[in-house]
Parts: sequence; structure tokens; C-alpha cells
Amino acid sequence: MSAALAPGEIVLGKATRTFRVRRDRSRTLKELVVRRGSGATHAAVQALREVSLRIAPGEAVGLVGRNGAGKSSTLACLAGIVPLDSGRAQCGGRVITLLELGAGFGPDFSGRENIYLNGALHGFGREEIAERIEDIVAFSELGEFIDLPVKVYSSGMFLRLGFSIAAHLDADVMLIDEILAVGDESFQRKCFARIAQRMEAGATLVLVSHDPGAIERVCRRVVVLDGGRVTFDGEVTEGLLHYHRLLGTEDGASRSSRPAGGGPALEVAELELLDADGHPRSAYRPGEALAVRMRLRARSEAERAVAALEVRSERGELCFRTDTALGTVEGEIEVSFEVPRLALLEGSYDVAVGAHAQDAPAGRLLDRLARLVVSRAEGGEGIADLRGSWTVAGRSTQEEALR
Amino acid sequence: MLRYRFLFEQMVRRELRQKYKGSALGVLWYLINPLVLMGAYALVFSVLLRVADIPDYPLFLLVGLIVWVFFAQALLAAAPSLVQNAALVRKVRFPREAIPASVATVQLITFLVMLAIATPVALAVRGTFEPALLLLVPIVALLFCFVLGLSLAVSVLHAHYRDVEPVLGAALLPWFFVTPIFLRVEDLPGVDDRQWLGDLLQWANPIAPFVDAVRQVLYAGSSPGAGHLAYIAVAGVMALGGGILLFRRMERDLAVML
Repeated sequence: MSAALAPGEIVLGKATRTFRVRRDRSRTLKELVVRRGSGATHAAVQALREVSLRIAPGEAVGLVGRNGAGKSSTLACLAGIVPLDSGRAQCGGRVITLLELGAGFGPDFSGRENIYLNGALHGFGREEIAERIEDIVAFSELGEFIDLPVKVYSSGMFLRLGFSIAAHLDADVMLIDEILAVGDESFQRKCFARIAQRMEAGATLVLVSHDPGAIERVCRRVVVLDGGRVTFDGEVTEGLLHYHRLLGTEDGASRSSRPAGGGPALEVAELELLDADGHPRSAYRPGEALAVRMRLRARSEAERAVAALEVRSERGELCFRTDTALGTVEGEIEVSFEVPRLALLEGSYDVAVGAHAQDAPAGRLLDRLARLVVSRAEGGEGIADLRGSWTVAGRSTQEEALR
Repeated sequence: MLRYRFLFEQMVRRELRQKYKGSALGVLWYLINPLVLMGAYALVFSVLLRVADIPDYPLFLLVGLIVWVFFAQALLAAAPSLVQNAALVRKVRFPREAIPASVATVQLITFLVMLAIATPVALAVRGTFEPALLLLVPIVALLFCFVLGLSLAVSVLHAHYRDVEPVLGAALLPWFFVTPIFLRVEDLPGVDDRQWLGDLLQWANPIAPFVDAVRQVLYAGSSPGAGHLAYIAVAGVMALGGGILLFRRMERDLAVML
């Protein structure tokens, strides 16, 4: 360990790591003796390419990116689990990792015994854990289950125990991967409150998640990784928009910076979601009418312009995409996409819009993002409202599944 | 290192629990195993074949067997231990040596329980207490160093080359038969006119001097020679040192390859 960092400080300096992916997973002694070919079974994957980051104590940083972008590798390198090929990765002070639910739990151990085991794995001693165990047990809400072997636990109970341990071990740095998505809403709220509390006490958080909602709740800063590189580092709303754009492009070749020449020929100046009465609103019930209204501004005459719109779920799945030809655009115009009957079910969605002239570079389609929250309704689950009706023994219920 | 003493203790507890599943019969079975082997071999070599003309032959056998069972079981359990704990290695940072070391330690505990049973039996059979018995402490400590070093080595080797465990399993059976457990090397009729073969069996097999030393102290109540003690001291220290070095060299990418 060179140059000592302040507790809670995190530094990645030109961190580089390549993984050799083998088509046939494990090596054997036989292979070592009987050398076949010249190692053509290797394929190299660059998980991190000279990634440099500096995170100050007390910061909460969200790490987002598509699958395979290098998020989990970054966390594993920060935690010191995976060594770097070159560069440096360091965390100041005590680090606690929550990378997988129940990693290192002894299945035959009770919840209470596992608290000691897990604390020990993170380098805490018996007394330090004994001081906190009652808080951990209380926070986990496991009640009598705390003295039963964890092999009888549900995944929700695993999460509660794992998070309770991590949140009470007063680490300077918390590295958390994806797992807050499990568990019920009320426990999640409690977790976020506890994280906020820990950060007030000066702890640093790095959170990997596919869920922009979770990132938005706790993080002020977002780092977007793509292809092992940092493609965005900054304020959270802008970062999530950038991430969204990445998801929208096939090859991920999107750039965070605007093309040279002072910006695109055509851009979305304003975006609003309007209800049936024309009032801006972001929360809707399934089945309601709404309109997506955008104001486009052309810097110069944009020929054969196209406006595009897409809706994605919180997890980034594409729910709907459409575009329309606008002809030649000059100055400012207003474009609306009207939805007579919202066919989405409960959840939080991202509505992204963009506009470009025909000769615009590909991969910069989406420009602006609005959040659409759909409330709960009776009659179905999932994301799409299929507007079906049930028929029993030839007798139609004459009822729409959802209103 | 001190910081992780508590971790080590917890890992040993976890191994013990997993191995014995909290049932009393579980522990008992591990103690019964060498006793059953002892009975079978005593029947074959002493009663049926009549090759073993050794007083208190079952005790003689038992002492050798518990050393061997400790050695073999520890290596067999340690070899797959890193692979079995892949989730832990990939997700938490801690000294990975703790995994094979805790597995070997659990075997040591079983071994110590067997010794605690065998020692009073040996004392009762001989009817005298020799101070040489105290040598058991350093001999067992060196034996543990030897087993621990090899456990570290086979666990990290198995993580890299997945056929280490089956190869080890296959090698242990012939290894058992060339180790002087049924008879002392000098009692073997085949080595009388072939001194080199006797020396080979006695000194080329590093576990043989350990078996012999424990047996001399516990069964015969006499001290092994200085050269013999020096051998096991060197073997114990070298195995541990080599095991640690190999582990350090090969553990780097464990989180990636498991």
C-alpha cells in the first residue's frame, strides 16, 4: 500500500484488467502434459481500460452501464478481490462489500452465528461484532428466525440479514452490487435511510445497479462505464440520461459530448408529459390518456428530420419505440405523441425522445428524458396491459381486465 | 494476521458444523472409522496371515492408522476446498489461506480426539509412563505443519488444475500400502537382504517418519533418534514454507478462475 488515503477515499488510477475467457472452463493436469495447439482457446476481454476515478469521503456514487460494461469488475478490483494488470485501485480505511447475497454464509449456522462469521470475514473481531449484534438483529426484522439455520431462510430474509450486517459494521467504504433490488418496499426504504445515515457519518458508497430509481435515491454522482471505459462522470440526472442513450444504441458508440461544430442541427429543447386536460404531470393510472409533447429547435434548416420516442422500464427493457418523419424543419416546432389509453402497468418508466436530421451520425438518437410513473391498478401484473377479458364456460364476464 | 484470528476460529467452527451437521453420531463416525480399519487389519495380518508378530498389535496398528487417516483425510478435504468456497472467494476479500487451513484444522481436531483416546490405552497397556511421551507435543505440531503445508498446496493446485483431487485420491491408496503402518520397515521380510529398499521405504516417503515417530513415542514409549527428529523437523518446516510460497504465487487470480 503506497500513499495512504484518508478513510473513505477511493482512488482508481489507470486501472486496467483483461480477463482471459476460456471456452472450456477449467484446466486440467492432462492438458498441461498433452499440449494441444497454441492456446487458441483464449479470448481476451478487456474489463477495465485505464479507468481513473477519485471519490471523496462521504460521496455516494452510482456505477451504471450495460451488461459487461465493467461495473462488477470495477467493484471487485476496488474491493481487492480481483488484482489489476496495471494501474492502482485503493480504498482508504475499512471496506465492506455486499456483492452477493449470502456469500460466505454457513448454511448450517443460525442467523446469529452467521453475523459473527460474516463480520469476521470483513476483518472485524468478536468484541466489535458483539457490540453491534443486537442492532443488526433488530434491523433485520428476522425475529425468531435469527436463531434458526439460514438454510431455511427465504431470499428476502437472506437479503435482510446480509444488508443488516453490512450496514452496521461501520465501514469507511461500502461497495454494493445490485442486491437492493430484492426485498419489499418498506425494507428498501429502511436500507436507503440507513445508507444515508452512514454517509452522514462520513462513509463512502459505491453502488452498482441497473435500477435508475435506486441510483437516483442515494447517489448525487453517476459514473457510466461502457466497454471498460468511463464514458460519463457527473451529476446524476444527466448521467442517467447518458446511460439511457447507451441502452438505446445498438453498438453503444454513443458519445456524451456533442459533435463538433457547436451542437447538432436539431435538438429537443423541451419535453413534457401532459394529461388529458393538458396539464403537465408525471404520475398516471393505467388506462389514462396522456401526451408526450416536445419542442424541437433546428439550428439551421434540417432536412428530412426524424423524431423518435422510446419507453423503457426501470430495468432498461425496451417497452415501446416509434419514430416519425418530420420533413424539413426550420426554427422551432412542436411535436406530440398522443397515447389515448396508457397500456402500461404499475412501475416507473423512462420516456426518452430525440430528433435528428437524416444525415446525423447514428447512435445519437435520444436527447431528453422524462420519468413516467404508473400507479397500481386491479386485475393484472407485469408491465403491459393486454386489455383482455376472461371467458368462463362460454359465458363472457363482460369485464375488461383493467380499467 | 492477528486481525484474522477470529475469522479463522469462525471458519473452523463453520467447517466443523458442516462436517458433523451438529449430530453426535457424525463425530462418532469419524472416530469409529480408524477403529474398524484397525480391527480388519489386525484380523488379516495377525490372525489370518500371521505375518505380524508384534505384541499388542491392534494398538500398534491403531497408532499408525490415526496418523495416516489424519494425513489422508486432510489432503482429500483440502484439495476441493477453494473450489467449494468459490462464492466466498469471488465476493469477499479475506486471506484465502483461511479456507484450506480451517479444513486441515478440523482434521487436526479429530486427530487430537483420537490421540486423547489412544494415549491412555497405550499407557494402560504398557503400565509405565515414560518422559519420552512428552515428545508427542512437538511431533504432532510438526506433523500439523507438514499436513497444513501440503493442504495449502493441493487446494491451490486443484483450483488451477481440476484433476488434482482425483489424482490425489488415486495416489493415496498405493501410498497407504507403502507406508509402514502394518509393520515397521525393519520387520519386513523382503528388506532383510536389500538395505536400500528399507531406506527407501523409511526415508523417501515423507509421511513414513511421522508415522514412525508417533508410534515410537506412543506405542513403544521411547524417543526417536536425533536424526529421525531432525528429519521430521525439516520436513514439517519445508512443507509449510513451500505450501505458503506456492499458495501466495498461485492465489492471485483465484477470484477470476473459480
